[in-house]
Amino acid sequence: MKKSTIGILAMAALIFNACKNDEVKNVVVNPNDYNVAVSGKIVTVKNMAADTIVGVGAMGPYGAGKYTFFSLGTNSKIASTDSATSNWDLAFAGSTIRINGGTSGPGNGGAFVYTGTFDALTAIPVDSTFKIDQAPAYAITKGSGKGWYNYDGPTNLLTAIPGRVLVIRTASGKFAKVEILNYYKGNTTPLSTASDSIKIYDSRYYSFRYTYQADGTTTF
Amino acid sequence: MKHISQTIFLLFFSLSLFAQEDTTSTLFSSMDEVVVTASKTVTKLGNVTSPISIITKKNIQQAGSLRLKDILQEQAGMSITNGFGAGIQMQGLNPDYTLILLNGAPLVGRTAGVLDLNRIGITNIKKIEIVKGPSSSLYGSEAMAGVINIITENNSDKKIQLGARYGFGNPNLGWSSPLAKDVFKNTDLNFLCITTFKKATINLSSNAFYVDAISFRPYSSERITQPIWRFTNQLSIFAPVNDKNNFTFLVRNGYDQIKQNFAVNNNGAVSTSFGKETNNDLNINSILTHVLNEKIKSSLNVYATFYKGFQKLNFSNKPDSSYIDEFKQHLYRAENQNDFKFKNMLLTIGAGYIIDQAYSTRYDNVESKKQNQILYAFAQHEWTLSKKLIFTTGVRYDHNKIFAAAFSPKFSFRYIASKAITIKGSIGRGFKAPDFRQLYLNFTNNAAGGYSVLGCIDAIKIIQQMQTIGQLSEIKDDYNKLSSLKPEFSTGINLGGTVFLNKNLQLDFNGFRNDIEGLIDVRQVATKLNGAQIFSYINIKNAYTQGLEFDLKWKATKTISISTGYQFLETADKDDLANIKAGKVYTRNVDGTSRILLNKEYIGLANRSKHMGNVKITYENKNGFFINTRLLYKSQWYVGDRDGNGLLNKNDESGDGYFLINFAAGKTFNKKLILNIGMDNVTNYQDMNYLPNLSGRMIYLSINYTLK
Repeated sequence: MKKSTIGILAMAALIFNACKNDEVKNVVVNPNDYNVAVSGKIVTVKNMAADTIVGVGAMGPYGAGKYTFFSLGTNSKIASTDSATSNWDLAFAGSTIRINGGTSGPGNGGAFVYTGTFDALTAIPVDSTFKIDQAPAYAITKGSGKGWYNYDGPTNLLTAIPGRVLVIRTASGKFAKVEILNYYKGNTTPLSTASDSIKIYDSRYYSFRYTYQADGTTTF
Repeated sequence: MKHISQTIFLLFFSLSLFAQEDTTSTLFSSMDEVVVTASKTVTKLGNVTSPISIITKKNIQQAGSLRLKDILQEQAGMSITNGFGAGIQMQGLNPDYTLILLNGAPLVGRTAGVLDLNRIGITNIKKIEIVKGPSSSLYGSEAMAGVINIITENNSDKKIQLGARYGFGNPNLGWSSPLAKDVFKNTDLNFLCITTFKKATINLSSNAFYVDAISFRPYSSERITQPIWRFTNQLSIFAPVNDKNNFTFLVRNGYDQIKQNFAVNNNGAVSTSFGKETNNDLNINSILTHVLNEKIKSSLNVYATFYKGFQKLNFSNKPDSSYIDEFKQHLYRAENQNDFKFKNMLLTIGAGYIIDQAYSTRYDNVESKKQNQILYAFAQHEWTLSKKLIFTTGVRYDHNKIFAAAFSPKFSFRYIASKAITIKGSIGRGFKAPDFRQLYLNFTNNAAGGYSVLGCIDAIKIIQQMQTIGQLSEIKDDYNKLSSLKPEFSTGINLGGTVFLNKNLQLDFNGFRNDIEGLIDVRQVATKLNGAQIFSYINIKNAYTQGLEFDLKWKATKTISISTGYQFLETADKDDLANIKAGKVYTRNVDGTSRILLNKEYIGLANRSKHMGNVKITYENKNGFFINTRLLYKSQWYVGDRDGNGLLNKNDESGDGYFLINFAAGKTFNKKLILNIGMDNVTNYQDMNYLPNLSGRMIYLSINYTLK
């Protein structure tokens, strides 16, 4: 009896220490910094700037008009000089997400917005239709409530709709599922009562996670 | 917390000092008191079949209340909403659904459905009657959650009454000396004169109110002061023409001026606006009552009310342009009511005609008159089967010129089960007609992408025009629902009663459920060629509110009374609820990942507290001294969607539950002079984000003198 108690205590101490170590490790990453973390099949990207606001003009806030390109296969950002290549799969600017296909790029990309949880989407339904970008219409539909986000005018906040998965055909014809987690710095949507400057200058920082299927099949 | 305990200690200490005194006056209404709002006839409180409560002049005076908002927020189950002024939320329904009457005639001039309760001064009134549950069977539109009827002084005792009050505080510091430079003031001056001329009673009253209102601009954290002036003048004449005919005439004018100098942070661009807002409200009511014989009484009521709200703002960055917002509403009403008394029955039959007109800069053209005509008839049958049992059956039909008709039946009963227990129940339909905004609004936001919000009548016209000239890229399915905008209907059930636990302990309770159909909401109906959305109003949502209410009044000793009220409230959008049950709604975990929302996480409608209550302790002796403490509580309420699923659940944004403590004491000398002192918001509770209009701790002194 006594032995086992000591055993449990020892184990608890070990677990406790382990947790502590994890915490120490996590502290190293600033929660507001761009970061890519791989955990098994899931890659999580935090705070990826996408044409962030540089000023406020008569027509409202504006960015520099530059897309941020990302490759799902290499888990990394791609230089904008490569925008005309098939090196990238997704391009982000403001609330617009382009795929590398159609009017947006030379690749074989396509996409559609799936309703359901990221985890529950283990295989792309066979009757799915991939759309391609036909500017000004995009495969990942723009507009509040139409694609992956809701925008509320009075509070000036954009929230990613939960239970939406962007099903992506990459530039090279492979498949991936992407879940947008947040549109604001620190993976946290400001409160409706936050100041306008926070709402404006902390926006356009994407946090998202994805699973990339390298073998060309439609299962994850 | 320290402040609270000190206050409670002080209170009990002062109570124990005076506890041996005696008094005969009572704070609570007796069952023999008469009320008029529940049945549109003079009825004893004990015979009323619907849930009703009375706020007496004494309640108002002892709470130091000046505006209608002040006293309503101290009642259980009455929640004050912020936004477009202070609105009343009753039985969990929005301010749009409570009809507010002045001596039985409706007050108008709502902004976004809210009638600002601060517009109504209550220093010169006799009492307030509150009927809960659908009352459209007598009152027509808006009486969905209930009716609040403000009844002005109507007795004929000659007197002149003068009153003054000075209140002061500083929300930043918590305390302020009364004359400090940075003090926040509120001042009230009050005059009432009742005199007679031949047989007529003339009642003249005048009120001036000033407050350094504090407010925070929505979505910013700047504290601003808005000096507000409010003036009310009222003349009423009661003239018994002869022993069979009575004539009552009332004219009231309310004028408010709100100075508005503030910095607006619009999408990051800061501009200073300066200007003012004014409200002008005129009510003219005349009633001729004819008593044909003991059994038949007839009355003719002609009422007109004119409201004008005007706002003009200039901007520092655009000196040559200004923003003007104007809204005018004129309502004319003629109503005849006949009461027939049979042995054990009272039959009330009435009919009326209303012309309701509005002009606004928010519509297509400020000069263009929008008008609805309503022809209505109502009947009510009150049947006293025995001393114990009363049945009331009522029905009203409203024929609207510009939208669908409304039919509102109601059935209610009162049963005296035993000496100690009275049971009341009612089931009725309530409705709210679409308002002019929902029919005629014409708003395009050029600054934010050119989206438009159009009233449904204008939307049909404009969309058809744009379609013919090829300006539309898309017409949504919801567009087809526009042609048939209907009133919003509800079915309300109330079941409750009164239990006299002993002769000093009375428990009132009521359970309610309101099922609302076809709530009007904004939906996208079309898209312009440039991608801008066009929104309009459609009957689309179904919701319910349900809850329980308790009110316990205890006369602990001859001098000490304790009352406590509590309301439990649940609300839901029925479609949201169905989607959650079907597993179609998602939420987010802390790390941002999605999962299916559980039913138990659903909150319901926005801005509703699940629990609210109050405790009031009053000491009052026969020497005219009183002291009271009122503790008010509201639990957490949800304000905004944070996880993006478009409805409110436990992950979303909410305001924190809070307590408020108000304190007052006073003494009457020789039945002529009343001196009062009080402190509102004793703990200086503030919430910049979610209670922008709650002022900090305020101390006031008031003096009232009556000359008979």
